[in-house]
Amino acid sequence: MSGGHGGALDAYRADIQAPLASRREYLYGLNPLAKILGPIPAMILVLLSGTMFTPLCFVILCAVLMLTGLRWQRSSLITLGLALPLFIAVFGFSFTLWADQRRVAHTPVVFEIGSFSVTSGALEIGFTTALRLAALFGLALTGGLSSTGPDLVRSSIQHLHLPYRIGYTALAATRFVPRFGHELETIRQAHRVRGMSPGRGPIASTRRSLGYVVPLLTGAIRHAGRVSLAMDARAFGAHDTRTERHQIPVRTRDWVFMIGFWVFTAAVLVAALWIR
Amino acid sequence: MSITHEGGARPGPDGVSLELVPGEVLLVLGPSGSGKSTLALALDGLVPHAIPATLTGSVRVAGTETVGASVATLSETVAMVFQDPDSQMITGSVLDEVCFGPENLGLPVAEVLERAETALREVDLWERRTENPDRLSGGGRQRLAIACALAMRSPVLVLDEPTANLDPAGIEEVYRVLARVVARRDRSIVLIEHNLDPAMDLVNRVLVLDGLGRTAFLGDAHSILRTHAAELLELGVWLPVSLMAALHLHEAGIVLDPLPLTPRELTAALNVLDLPVLVDPPPPTPGIWDTPQLEVTGLSLKRGRRLVLRDINLSLDAGSFLAVIGTNGAGKTTLVQAIAGVIQPPRGTVSLGGLDPARLDVRTLTTRIGFVFQNPENQFVTYTVANELAHGLRLRGIDQAIIDARVDDLLERFALTEARDQHPFLLSGGQKRRLSVGTALVAGASMLALDEPTFGQDRARAGELLALLHELNAAGTTIIVVSHDLQLVSDFATHVAVMKDGELMRIGTRDEILADEDLLHEAGLRMPPLIRAMRGLTAHPSWRTVTRLAELPGGGGLR
Repeated sequence: MSGGHGGALDAYRADIQAPLASRREYLYGLNPLAKILGPIPAMILVLLSGTMFTPLCFVILCAVLMLTGLRWQRSSLITLGLALPLFIAVFGFSFTLWADQRRVAHTPVVFEIGSFSVTSGALEIGFTTALRLAALFGLALTGGLSSTGPDLVRSSIQHLHLPYRIGYTALAATRFVPRFGHELETIRQAHRVRGMSPGRGPIASTRRSLGYVVPLLTGAIRHAGRVSLAMDARAFGAHDTRTERHQIPVRTRDWVFMIGFWVFTAAVLVAALWIR
Repeated sequence: MSITHEGGARPGPDGVSLELVPGEVLLVLGPSGSGKSTLALALDGLVPHAIPATLTGSVRVAGTETVGASVATLSETVAMVFQDPDSQMITGSVLDEVCFGPENLGLPVAEVLERAETALREVDLWERRTENPDRLSGGGRQRLAIACALAMRSPVLVLDEPTANLDPAGIEEVYRVLARVVARRDRSIVLIEHNLDPAMDLVNRVLVLDGLGRTAFLGDAHSILRTHAAELLELGVWLPVSLMAALHLHEAGIVLDPLPLTPRELTAALNVLDLPVLVDPPPPTPGIWDTPQLEVTGLSLKRGRRLVLRDINLSLDAGSFLAVIGTNGAGKTTLVQAIAGVIQPPRGTVSLGGLDPARLDVRTLTTRIGFVFQNPENQFVTYTVANELAHGLRLRGIDQAIIDARVDDLLERFALTEARDQHPFLLSGGQKRRLSVGTALVAGASMLALDEPTFGQDRARAGELLALLHELNAAGTTIIVVSHDLQLVSDFATHVAVMKDGELMRIGTRDEILADEDLLHEAGLRMPPLIRAMRGLTAHPSWRTVTRLAELPGGGGLR
C-alpha cells in the first residue's frame, strides 16, 4: 500500500506529460532543460537586485507564461488571482516590520501602529524582499509545474551526458518519497500507542521525532536494498548505454524560449540600471 | 554448491547439486533458514555479486560460471520475481516498467516495445499500460513483475515466494498467469513457495532442503510428496492442506492411496471410500461471559474526502477470537485501528466494555486493548528487550520491584529470557513478533488486536504465532486479527467479519461465514482448500461441513 497518488511530490504525474498536452499549452512541450537554463540568469539577477522593478518584471513574466502556457484549472486561477497578491502582501508587511529601522529613519512616516512608525523606506525594503521571493518561486515553478522528473532525467542524460546509472537511480529514489511518508505515519501511530513521550512543546516533540529515526532508517535501508536487487536482476547498469524510447530533443522552440528568456533578462537588467 | 553469507556461521544451502532441464518447473521447499532464497539469488549471480557471500562449488548458467560473469549478463538467462511487489517497481507507468529490463539490455526501440507488448498481454495488463503501477492491486503488481521478467526473454524464471504478500484473489491471478507460462513449455521455472495448494498443479520436480541447508530430497514432485510426506513434515516443511488432511485421516485408519495433493484429488479419493458418519462438533462456545466486551455502533470514518468505513455495527463477546477478512483496501485495518484507538474513532461509536477509546488517554487505553502493528519494528521504542516490556509499566509509575517481576514473567512466557539484553531490532522475525505481542499485553489489556500478523512470514512462523494467540485466547484474552489467510483463520477463529469497500458485509461464527461461498466470492476472497475439498463430497453428507483439520478423525499431533 502506498499513499499519495498524484501528489505534488509524484515525479510521474500523468497530467503534466508532454504528449498529452494540447498545442496551446506550450510550456509542457518544451525541453525541461530549456525551462531550467532559461530562468537561471534571471534568478541570479533577482537575487542580486535591490529594487522593486526587477523582481516585479519577472513576477509579471512568469504570471503571463503560466496563464498562457499551462493547463487551466480552477486552482491556477486561485493561485494567481488570490494567493499571489496575498503572499506578497503578507510577506511585504512582515518584512517591513523586520527592516532595519536606523537605515530607513530618514524616510517619511506613512502610518503608525501604536508607537511603532512604519516608514516608506521600510515598506519599500519589505515589499522588494517579498517580490524577490515571489519572483524566485515563479521562475522555479514555470518549469517545475510543466516538467516531469523522468523527462528531466532523460533530457539530462541525452544532452548533458549525465551518466544514466545516476539519473535512473535518482528517479527510482523519488518513488520512495510517498512510501516513506506512509511509513512515518505508521511509526508515529505505533509510538503513540506505546505512550511514547506524551506532552506538547518543542522538547517533547524532538524526543518523539528522534524515536522515529531508527525504525524509519531500518525500513528505508531494507527497502533500498530490495529495490537495488530488483534493478540488478533486470540488467540495470549492465551496458554503457541503455535504449531510450523517449527522445527529448532540443528543438528550435527550446532555443527560442531559452534565448528569449536571456534577452528579456538582459533587457530588464539594462532598464533597471537606466532607471536608477 | 555451498554458500556462506558474510559473517554467517554455517553454509545454507550446503552442498546442493542440481540441474535444471529446459521446460521443467522445480519447486524448492525447506524450513526457514535452510537457504532457499539464497539459492534463488545465486542462480542469477546476485549472490555473490550483489550480496557478499562465499560460494564454493559452482553455479553454471547456460555454460558460464556465475562467479566470473556479471549479474547483468546472467539476467539475460535467468529472470527473477521477488516476494514484495512494491520493491520491484522502478518507473512510473506499467509500460515503462516492462520496458526497463529490455532497455537496459540496449535493444532497439522496436524490439523493446514488441517484447513489452507480448509480456503485458500474457499477464493481461496491456490495457492498463499507461497507469501508474501503484494503482494496480497487489496481485496486479505481482503480475506486472512477472511480465517484467518475461520481457527479459530468459530461458529460466526464478520466483521467490511470489504470493506471500498477496490476498487470495491476487494469488489466484498470479497462478492463472503462471499456468499460462508453464503451458508454453519454453521456460524452466524455479519456484520457492509456501502456499503449495495452488502450486501443486504446476510443478514437476521438487528440491527439499533440510534445516541445515543440505539436500534432503530431489526428484519428481508428486511422488516425493506422497512417499516422504511424514519426513517432510518432520523437517518443518509445510505441505498442501489436502495432503495434511490425508495424513490426519491415516492416523484414524482411513487410508487414501495414492495420497491426494490437491483439493480435487482429496474429494475424489474420499468419495469412493466408505467413511464413518461424523457427529457434529459441539457448537463453539460464544464467549466466557455473555455480555459484549466490544460494541461498535454506526461507525463511519473519512480519510480526506473518501469514506473508508461506512456505518459499521458489531458486537463481540469477551473471550472470542475474531478474524476480520477482506481483500487489500477493504478497510479491515482501519476498522481494527479505530476499535483499538490507534486512529481516533468518532465519539460514541466504539465501546470497550463501557469505555470509549475516543475519550481515553493512551495509558488507560493500553490497559484495555493492545494493538500489534504489521511491522513489529515500528513499535519498538527502547534499546533492550527487557526495557521494551518494562516501558509500558514505567509510564504508569509502578514500583520497580513489581515491574521486574512482571517483566521476568513475560520474558519467560514469550520465550525471550535469553534475549533480554538484546536490541529489539536484532531479534529474529519470530522473536520480534512475540515481543510486540508481549508489549501490547504488558499493561494487562484483556483484548489484543493484530494487523496482518502472518503477512510476509513463512507458514511455520505464522503457525507458531497463531498457536500463541490461541493459547492467550484460551486463557481468556479476546483476540481480533486482520488477515487474508483463510486457512489459518478457519483453524483458529471463533468469529469472522467480512469486509468489502469499507462496509461490513457480515459478521458471524466461523462455520457460518466460511460455509457461505457466495459471500466469500463477492468479498473477493476464496474458500480455503480444505473446505473446498469437503464441500465437494457427494457420498458423505456429514463430512461436508468440516472446516478444520482438527475436525477430521485422526490424531491431533500433526500440527
